[in-house]
Amino acid sequence: MDEDEIKSLITEEHRSSIGVKSEPVVVTVREADAHRLRDLFEDDDPRYADGTGIAPPYVIATLGNGVRPESPNVLPNGLMTQQEWKFSRPFRIGEELTAVSQVSDIRDRLGGRYGYSILLTTTTDYYDASGSHVAAVMLTITQFDPAGARE
Amino acid sequence: MSVRYFDEVQIDQELEPVEKIPTIDMAARFGMARETPMGNRFTDAEASRAIGVQGALVPGPLKIAWLTKYVSDWAGTSAEIASIRVAFRRPDVAGKPLILSGRVVDKRVQDGKSLVELEVVTLADGQPSVRANVQVRMPNRP
Repeated sequence: MDEDEIKSLITEEHRSSIGVKSEPVVVTVREADAHRLRDLFEDDDPRYADGTGIAPPYVIATLGNGVRPESPNVLPNGLMTQQEWKFSRPFRIGEELTAVSQVSDIRDRLGGRYGYSILLTTTTDYYDASGSHVAAVMLTITQFDPAGARE
Repeated sequence: MSVRYFDEVQIDQELEPVEKIPTIDMAARFGMARETPMGNRFTDAEASRAIGVQGALVPGPLKIAWLTKYVSDWAGTSAEIASIRVAFRRPDVAGKPLILSGRVVDKRVQDGKSLVELEVVTLADGQPSVRANVQVRMPNRP
């Protein structure tokens, strides 16, 4: 297919999902998760040792289960191509955080292995009990149709 | 571990490379052992082959976590990771060594905070599989 002929598959309905916040989900910074990951990474940073009450930043990877915004599936397959973690302050063991997610961007991409693909970015912000921002995860999924793969 | 101060950091300063060997067991311990209708690409090489990858995939978040710790170890125990932004360039497979390396690309004081920016990568067979930009809040010398 000629790239000039490619039409966007992103509709106004898809675009209308941008910025719509999910229902809040409460997640807990679990000591067991922090301990497991510290062991896995052989992390001997004294700030995160048992008894300090502080979890290493990468524990954010354990908070995402069940925290997903409603997001459009325009093409049948998807691969994570970008991710960003932001930290406003360290995590405290045992604290409950409120997670709010949203689709933050959706755009066409021309070129590459699949000729046409869609970049869908979602953001999840985590807030503590006082409403202060603690951390955020931005995730970009490249949606593609394997049938469009180039030789 | 020690403390590294903002005034010690030089632009173009390189981090000592570190080798990591990702394994299926690590992916499972990291929390990626969940089964899906398509199998588990992180613990089952057959499931990965269905998407054209020759071996069990190394989970992206595991690589981000490794890079976060890599920079955190360099920055010392009084620094804080402010952000890490990662682009996955190509899939990595379990059992294949990865080299983590990086360098400082900027340092500045912004809104009263001493910030250092680094570019870090994972290299598989000498080619970047993950590129990341990391921002670190560094302590000032007392």
